[in-house]
Amino acid sequence: MAWLASPPPTANMDASIAPDASGVLATPAPRPARHNGTHPASGRPMIEVRNLRKEYVMGAEHVIALDRINLGIARGQICCIYGESGSGKSTLLNQLAGMERPTRGGVRIGGIVVSRLDERELAEFRQKHIGFVFQSYNLLPGLNAVENVAMPLMFRGVPREEREARARAMLRRVGLGKRLNHYPSQMSGGQQQRVGIARAFVTRPQVVFADEPTGNLDSKTKVDIMDMIRDFARENGQTIVLVTHDEHMAAYADRIVTLLDGRIVHDTEQDE
Amino acid sequence: MRFSDLVHLCRQNLFRRKSRTILTVLGVVVGCCSIVTMVSLGSGIDEQNKQMLASMGDLTIITVTGTNSAGGMQAAGPMGMADSSGTATARLDDKAVKDFRSLQYVAAATGHITYPSASLTAGPANRYTNDAGTIEAIDMAQFDAMGYKLVSGHKPERQGEVLAGQYTAYDFADSLRLEGDNYRVAPMNVAESCTAEERANGCRDKSDVQDPFFNILTTKITVAAAPSDDSGSTSSSSTATTTENTASASGSGTQIQVSGLLKEDYGKGQATSSGLLMDIGMLKDLVAKIQPGAATSSLAYDSALVRVQDIDHVADVESQIRTMGFTTSSSRDMLDSLKEQTRSIQLILGGIGAVALVVAAIGIANTMVMSVTERVREIGIMKALGCTVHDIRAMFLVEAGAIGVIGGVIGCLVSAVISLAINLIRYGGVSTEHLQWAILGNGTGDESARISVIPWWLYVFAIAFATLISLISGFGPANKAVRVPALDAIKSNQ
Repeated sequence: MAWLASPPPTANMDASIAPDASGVLATPAPRPARHNGTHPASGRPMIEVRNLRKEYVMGAEHVIALDRINLGIARGQICCIYGESGSGKSTLLNQLAGMERPTRGGVRIGGIVVSRLDERELAEFRQKHIGFVFQSYNLLPGLNAVENVAMPLMFRGVPREEREARARAMLRRVGLGKRLNHYPSQMSGGQQQRVGIARAFVTRPQVVFADEPTGNLDSKTKVDIMDMIRDFARENGQTIVLVTHDEHMAAYADRIVTLLDGRIVHDTEQDE
Repeated sequence: MRFSDLVHLCRQNLFRRKSRTILTVLGVVVGCCSIVTMVSLGSGIDEQNKQMLASMGDLTIITVTGTNSAGGMQAAGPMGMADSSGTATARLDDKAVKDFRSLQYVAAATGHITYPSASLTAGPANRYTNDAGTIEAIDMAQFDAMGYKLVSGHKPERQGEVLAGQYTAYDFADSLRLEGDNYRVAPMNVAESCTAEERANGCRDKSDVQDPFFNILTTKITVAAAPSDDSGSTSSSSTATTTENTASASGSGTQIQVSGLLKEDYGKGQATSSGLLMDIGMLKDLVAKIQPGAATSSLAYDSALVRVQDIDHVADVESQIRTMGFTTSSSRDMLDSLKEQTRSIQLILGGIGAVALVVAAIGIANTMVMSVTERVREIGIMKALGCTVHDIRAMFLVEAGAIGVIGGVIGCLVSAVISLAINLIRYGGVSTEHLQWAILGNGTGDESARISVIPWWLYVFAIAFATLISLISGFGPANKAVRVPALDAIKSNQ
């Protein structure tokens, strides 16, 4: 019953770090110096996007959702992708996280060409390197807070006691120490999102993608949630990619990349 | 992902939708039940056949009928199963019997001689007569090993002692009574019950059974040669003692004493039912006395009986004996043809059961498809969080498999109860004895044969089959789940 066994660690993952033949990523495209994006501490950007293009076929029409996106996000940077709805920011996030395959161009995260991984390698890649915070929290309704937070560790095969201990510790840090065994339906939106944050950070991923993490929350809770995300990221030097159309949220970022009609129109770094 | 986590998740998912899980499991229970019950009825037929044959005789006995046709003593083997296909080269003698005995799986073997009709008389003034008494002879040293059983008395110990068949005494007619009323009603040839009308036509039932005229264990029997009829070869000095007024026993016959009654067993010769059984040496002496004309050399074995250690090796031993050049027969032949007949019935019964399980499989597939559809979002989330495609598929297959295992186990338990009920109804009520017959299957005789028999492997098979069917019907939905794009999880609520 081979299908019951966990998949073996993939060798392809390492192989994909090797210089790719297509040359899409091998030759650095000329970039304006001001948004070089390379963090002073590390030589290479954590996330590199080269010449990305994404088209959708809708009936007879080709919709170009993203075009000529070049981007480098440094390790430890909190980068906000800002834009009105329909600007292509969610599409960009999906390309970055390997949820969708780009039409052209490539994405490299931590040296791994995400756009080249197959389904199984992607799953393992997400397990090891990526955390997600969703707008609609996306907790599993059948699992309580601890089990929800422990879920990514379960996929990695961490034993139950260990992963639930880690999950509990994480939940205490986000201030839910008294709601460990509550189910999503028993919690407010803010509490659910805190569970979501605990879940995203419990594996100590290198990159956390947050898609409108405060979209469904009131303004006071928004601040709490954003503070929490920023504090976690700073503590471990994690890279955050924050997608939002809310200017107040953008203020939390080190850098704001503005999208309009599928293209980058602004890219500014800001001091806190 | 660890297997224990998969099981844990599966349990949570099944519990979350209790009523649907229960209904699906119920479908499997019904399917499993119908298969087990139907097949159990089929194996019940087997058991009834077997018990019927066993009541007729020992199933492990092979009768070897040789090709030695020299003597006038030659007669058909027991049950008239003599066969003409044997080759003429093999001789059924002591050496052959010894060879049989040395074959693997053979428990015992003996030569066998039938003296088909002797005149037997007993009682005061030889009042009780049997003109056509069968005398059979075997090697008495093999008596126990051959599996002969006594219902009363003991084995011959002294000179002149022989064994009689269980109902031999009923074969004696009272010569002082009128024709038509001169035999006692024997237990083996009466009907279960007779109506008054049938009774008028000569029907007799259990209530009419009487004891024989005399106690054969305490009465000496005189053996003489049968009155000459068609053969014309009995030119002996012996006087046929067929008439009631022949008083003297000393000159015309030999007196013998029956020391025990054999248990009736058709596999071991007619003598176990009606006739006399004695040692081969004794028969030879006897024949020399009562019929000096017959040469002793002609008293060769007319057949040999070989007892196999267990019924599974009967075919094996039988074919070995056949290759030695002998003709054989055993009740296995009958068992085989009976089996052949029951097989088709069993197939039909099993088919009906399988249909029910297929219906259950459709139910499982339906449940799993629904489960996937309503969990698209969850699956997407899991994928986004790094759950591999393998694990997603495994999750759904474990769920489907669990439904199959649970349904199979419950189905087996229910079938066990149904089977017990069927058998108790057939026995006509609940009693300690009936429960013993039904559960342990240790009853003997037609009366205790079960209608529904569930061998242990049927349980194993039913559970395995239910699980397999569940996995197969869960496979499609599981693959559907695998194809759910992770993106849907994020998109579905925006």
